Amino acid sequence: MLELSSVAHGDHEMNQQRREFLRKAGLGALAGLGAAAGLFPAFALEKTDLSVFSDKPEPGKVRWGMLVNTRKCREGCTTCITACHHTHNVPDFGSSKSEVKWIWKSPYDKAFPTSSRQFQSEEVLNRKVLTLCNHCAEPPCTRACPTEATFKRWDGIVSMDYHRCIGCRFCMAACPYGSRSFNWQDPRPGVRELSSTYPTRERGVVEKCNFCSERLVKGELPACVATCPEEALSFGDLNDPKSAIRTMLQSNETMQRKPELGTLPSVFYII
Amino acid sequence: MIEKALKGDRAYWAWVALLLVFTGLGMSAYGQQMSLGLGVTGMGRDISWGVYISQFTFLVGVAASAVMVVLPYYLHNQKAFGKMVIVGEFLAVSAALMCMLFILADMGKPQRVLNVLRYPSPHSMVFWDVMVLNGYLLLNLISGWAVLGAERKGVAAPAWTRPLIYLSIPWAFSIHTVTAFLFAGLPSRHLWLTAVLAPRFLASAFAAGTAILILISFLLKRFAGYDAGREARDKLTVLCAYAGIANFFLLGTEFFTAFYSNVPEHMHSFQYLYFGLEGHAPLVPFMWFSLILGLASVAVFLAPPLRRQNGWLITAAIGLVLSIWIDKGVGLVIGGFIPTPLDAVVDYMPTLTELSVTLGIWSIGLLLLTVLLKVAVAVKKEA
Amino acid sequence: MSKHIQTLVAVLVGLVVFAGAALFMLGAHHNVRTATAAPASSAIVASPAKAVPIDSTKCIAPTEYMKAHHMQVLDQWRFDSVRKGTRTFVTPDGRHFDKSLNTCLGCHASNPMFCFMCHDYANVKPTCWSCHLSPMETTK
Repeated sequence: MLELSSVAHGDHEMNQQRREFLRKAGLGALAGLGAAAGLFPAFALEKTDLSVFSDKPEPGKVRWGMLVNTRKCREGCTTCITACHHTHNVPDFGSSKSEVKWIWKSPYDKAFPTSSRQFQSEEVLNRKVLTLCNHCAEPPCTRACPTEATFKRWDGIVSMDYHRCIGCRFCMAACPYGSRSFNWQDPRPGVRELSSTYPTRERGVVEKCNFCSERLVKGELPACVATCPEEALSFGDLNDPKSAIRTMLQSNETMQRKPELGTLPSVFYII
Repeated sequence: MIEKALKGDRAYWAWVALLLVFTGLGMSAYGQQMSLGLGVTGMGRDISWGVYISQFTFLVGVAASAVMVVLPYYLHNQKAFGKMVIVGEFLAVSAALMCMLFILADMGKPQRVLNVLRYPSPHSMVFWDVMVLNGYLLLNLISGWAVLGAERKGVAAPAWTRPLIYLSIPWAFSIHTVTAFLFAGLPSRHLWLTAVLAPRFLASAFAAGTAILILISFLLKRFAGYDAGREARDKLTVLCAYAGIANFFLLGTEFFTAFYSNVPEHMHSFQYLYFGLEGHAPLVPFMWFSLILGLASVAVFLAPPLRRQNGWLITAAIGLVLSIWIDKGVGLVIGGFIPTPLDAVVDYMPTLTELSVTLGIWSIGLLLLTVLLKVAVAVKKEA
Repeated sequence: MSKHIQTLVAVLVGLVVFAGAALFMLGAHHNVRTATAAPASSAIVASPAKAVPIDSTKCIAPTEYMKAHHMQVLDQWRFDSVRKGTRTFVTPDGRHFDKSLNTCLGCHASNPMFCFMCHDYANVKPTCWSCHLSPMETTK
C-alpha cells in the first residue's frame, strides 16, 4: 500500500513551500524587470548621441535687470509696449477681462500701492509707470508652479516653458505684481500682424514678459529698451558692478514694487 | 456588490435620471469650453480663479470631514457610528472625485495633466494637493469597499484594511491643510496670507461635513429605510456645533486682526466682501447672509430644545452648509483676488456655461455617491 | 518560511532586479549611432512649384538620420535651449549651430510644404504650428 509516510509528507510540504517561494520570487523579479522596462525604454528608442559641445551657462553669473526712469517716460507714448507686443505676437483683444499684456503703463499709486501717497506731488501721483514682470530673484510664481513650467533661469530671467504649462494659473495667483496673463482663447485671431521673431502661444497657457531672452541671445537689447524714443529704459547685468545700470543705481535713488514681500525684483524705478 | 445599485424603486431611478440629465448638460457645456477655451467662463486676467476652484475648495473640506466619523469609531471604539462610517467614507470618495473633476475643468490644458507626475515639483502646493487627493480617494474607496464586502460575506474585514483606515485619519487632515497652504503661502493675496487659514479650513470643513452627514442620514432614513441611529446623529450634531463655533471664532479673529491693525492690505478684501470697496459691493449681501445664517444655525445646534427637533436640526444643517459654502467658495476664493495686485477692484460673475459645467460635476459626484450608498445600504440591511 | 516572509522576499527580489535593470538602462549607451559624414549629396527636390534642391550635407546631420530622429533632436534641443541654456550644437565635423527651430527653418523654410509633405502623408499631427510659425507662414 502506497501511503505517504510522515517524512515523505514533510518532504512534499517542503517542496510545495519551495515551489511557492520560487513562484513568488520569480513573479517579483518579473515585476521588477517589467517596471524597469516600462520606465526606462532605452532599448525602444535609439539614443541620439550627436556630440554635444557643453556650453552650460554658470547659474547666477549674470543677473539681468532693468531700470525705468519714470521722469523721462513721455505721457501718452506707448512705443515700447507696441514694440514688445508686436515682436512677441501678443494678441490684442481690447481691454477686456481676457486681455493679454506683457508691459503696460499703470498709475503711480497702482504700481506702488504700498508706498506712501501722503502729500506726494501731484505730478508724481499722476505719472504713469511702466509695469512688467519683475523677474524676481525670489519669485513666488516659480515656487507655485506644479510642473516647473515657469522657472528661474541661470541668468535671473523668470522663464516660461509654454510646452509644459498645464494652465492651472497658480502662478497668476502667486504673482504679487499682476504681471502674468492667461490665454483664455486662441490668441492668433487677436494678432493683427504676425511677427517671425517669436512664436505665438496656444490657448490655455500663461505668458508674460521674458526680458526678450530671444534677443539677448543674439546680443540685442530688449525690444522695449531698444525702441524707447526717450531712452528712459536701461538694461544690463546687475551682477557687474561696472555695468551702466549699476552705475545709474548707485547715482540715483530708486524704488521697487512691493519690496516688503521679499521677492527681490530685478526692475528698478527712478521716480 | 455593485449590482445592488441596479435595483431600485421609482424614486431612485428618477433621481438617477435627473442626475444624468444634468451630467449631460454639464458635458455639453464643457465641450463648449474645450473648443472655445476658458474664456467662456467669467474668469479673466484679474480674477483668474472662479467657481471651479471655489467648489474644489469647499469639497476638499467635505472629503476631509469623513475623519469625523472614522476617528471616533476606529480609534475610540465609538460604536454608535457603526452605521455612519461607510457613509462618511463614501462621501469622501465622491467629494474627492468632484474635487479632481473641478481641477480638470479649470485647467487650461487638461491634456497635459500628467505633466504634474512627469515633472514632480515638491516646492509646489498644487503638486502635493494632486498627490494627497488621489491617495485619499483611493484609501477611502479601497478600505470602504473591502470592509463593506466583508460585511456582506459575514466575515471580519481583512487585516490590511486596518492600517489603511488608520492612515486615512491623518491623511484627511493633510488634504485640507495642503489645500489651505496652497492659498496661505502666496505673498500676493492678503486675504489668504494668514496662518489661521488652515485651522479655519479644517473647522469649516468639519462643520459643513458633519452637517452634510446629518442630512444624508435623514435622507437615507426617509428614502432607503436605513437609520444610522439617534445616537450617531446626536454625536454628529455635537461635533458640528463645536466645529461651527471654531469656524466663526476664527473668522472673528481674522476680522480683528484686519481692522484693529488698520493695515490697508489686510482690510481691503474684507471691506470688499462685507462692506463694499470703491463703490463695488456685489458680494456684500451674500456674505452677510452667510454670516447671519451660519451663526443662527450654530445657535440652533447649541440649543438642546431646538436641536432635538428634527425639523430644526435639518434646517440648521442646511443653513450651516449653505453658509460655509458661500463663505469658502464665494467669499474666500473670489475675495482673495480683490483688490488685484495693482489695487484695482474688479467684479466677477460666472457665466451660464461655467455654471452648467459646475452643475454637471456636482451631478457626477452625487451620482457616484448615490450608487455607493445604494450598495452600502443594501449590504448593511442584509447583514 | 512563512507566507509573509515569502512575500517580503519576493518584493525585495523584485526591487533588486528593478534597481539593477534601471541602473543598467540609465548608465549604458545603447545603439548609439554617431553621426557620420553623408555620402554624395542626395538632393531633395522640395516641391514641383519651388524646386530648390537642398544640399543635405549642410544639414546638422545626414538625411537618413534626420528622417528617423528629428523628433528626438527637436525635443532635446528644446530642452537644452529653453531649460538648460546650452544653445550651441556642434556636429562631429565641427560645425556650430544654434539649437533653435530657426536653424532648421533657416534652410528648410524655402519650401512652404517642407514639414507637411511627410506629415500629411504619414498623418502625424504634432502641435508645433499652433505656436511656431510654420514654413507656410514665414515670409522668405
